Amino acid sequence: MKRSISFLLLFVAVLFAAGWKLPDMGNLTGSIGSAGKVVDTVSKASRSISEDEEYYVGRAVAAMILDKYAFSTDVNITWYVNLIGKDIALSSDKPNTYNGYHFGILNTEEINAFACPGGTIFISMGMIRMAANEDELAAVLAHEIAHIANRDGISAIKNSRWTEALTVMGTEAAKKYGPQEVAQLVSIFEGSIEDVFKTVVTKGYSRSQEHTADETALKYLEKSGYNPAALIDVLKRLSSRDSSSGGIMQTHPASQDRIENLSGKVPSIKVDPKWLQARSFRFNNTLKK
Amino acid sequence: MKKHFIITVFIITVFVPLLLFAESVTVITKENAVREYCKFFAPVKAKVKYNDKLDMLSQQGDWFKVRFMKAEGCIHKTAVESKTASLTSIPLSGSSGRVSENEAALAGKGFTPQVEASYRAKHPEMKYYLVDKVEAINVSDKDLALFINNGGLKQP
Repeated sequence: MKRSISFLLLFVAVLFAAGWKLPDMGNLTGSIGSAGKVVDTVSKASRSISEDEEYYVGRAVAAMILDKYAFSTDVNITWYVNLIGKDIALSSDKPNTYNGYHFGILNTEEINAFACPGGTIFISMGMIRMAANEDELAAVLAHEIAHIANRDGISAIKNSRWTEALTVMGTEAAKKYGPQEVAQLVSIFEGSIEDVFKTVVTKGYSRSQEHTADETALKYLEKSGYNPAALIDVLKRLSSRDSSSGGIMQTHPASQDRIENLSGKVPSIKVDPKWLQARSFRFNNTLKK
Repeated sequence: MKKHFIITVFIITVFVPLLLFAESVTVITKENAVREYCKFFAPVKAKVKYNDKLDMLSQQGDWFKVRFMKAEGCIHKTAVESKTASLTSIPLSGSSGRVSENEAALAGKGFTPQVEASYRAKHPEMKYYLVDKVEAINVSDKDLALFINNGGLKQP
């Protein structure tokens, strides 16, 4: 008997050594199928929005942005912006999204840029023209990529919507919904898109989210080989415009505030003038400056 | 008796953790690639799709060394989700970054193509065709590598 107990204790010790831990109550309740709907809903609410769901929300937000702004069909500028953006994305904390990063140009002189959840980024012709060189354009894109990597857009969805969505989903393995469930999910989807659109396009992110995105952008620029100080240059250029100009000045904290936040945080790197010139040359060439 | 006891302990120590914690990862991007070595521009050894299961062999920085079919190579950690293939029905606690059984059951549900299709039918004015146009821009590894080199930038 004594030997059996010792043996059992040893077995449990081995399991713990291998990393097995006692289940917490939340997970345990989730594993008991007959525990009741209330318990089930609580445990389901712990599941966060997935990459593919973020992508579908982002597509709808992108479609709404394209309803508000004209879409540019300039193939050369679009291709060039995609090359810069995709390069920076590879140096980001989130080089992979469900369907990758894509960059579109908005045919407006308004100075603006938007990051849709999932990886689609829009930048206006006004913003592109405001940049003095490729490194400054890269700085703007790095800031937007940081919003995606930090999941700032998708986090604008109200918690109550997601909890409701999780309840509709149920725990069954079936992936096809009945008409009633689809109608409910579409309604929640609409609300979620509205939450994100309001934040991305109308209200803007919080001051701390913007500051974090700036700081993250510096990191991405340095890692990808662009001059991180170019972000300060763009912000200085923006600070000469006031909020009555609309666009990015309306949805972002004052540029001076952003510059102050970055004070002492810009990595000092040696910029090779030869490469800076090469990048400026292709920038001017593409934009026909 | 002592010999049997030692053998039993050895079997438990070696095989039970293997059975309980055989690690697999699931692809969470639409498409991706298992690469020869752990760099973005490394040659592709196998193409993988959303929900493909890969055997995880080890971790190297931000990359996982994995096996898919017969191909072994690297995939970036942000392209996959870690999941423990457990033979028990007891979920694991403290498993941040792992998918619980409940989460696994909900994968591929929620805001799905079916929901998007219904939303689009309800809002035919939405310019999804332009979104598709933006997403159709495909920059190859070769184009991007050339752009990086010509601009004196760093290959990640």
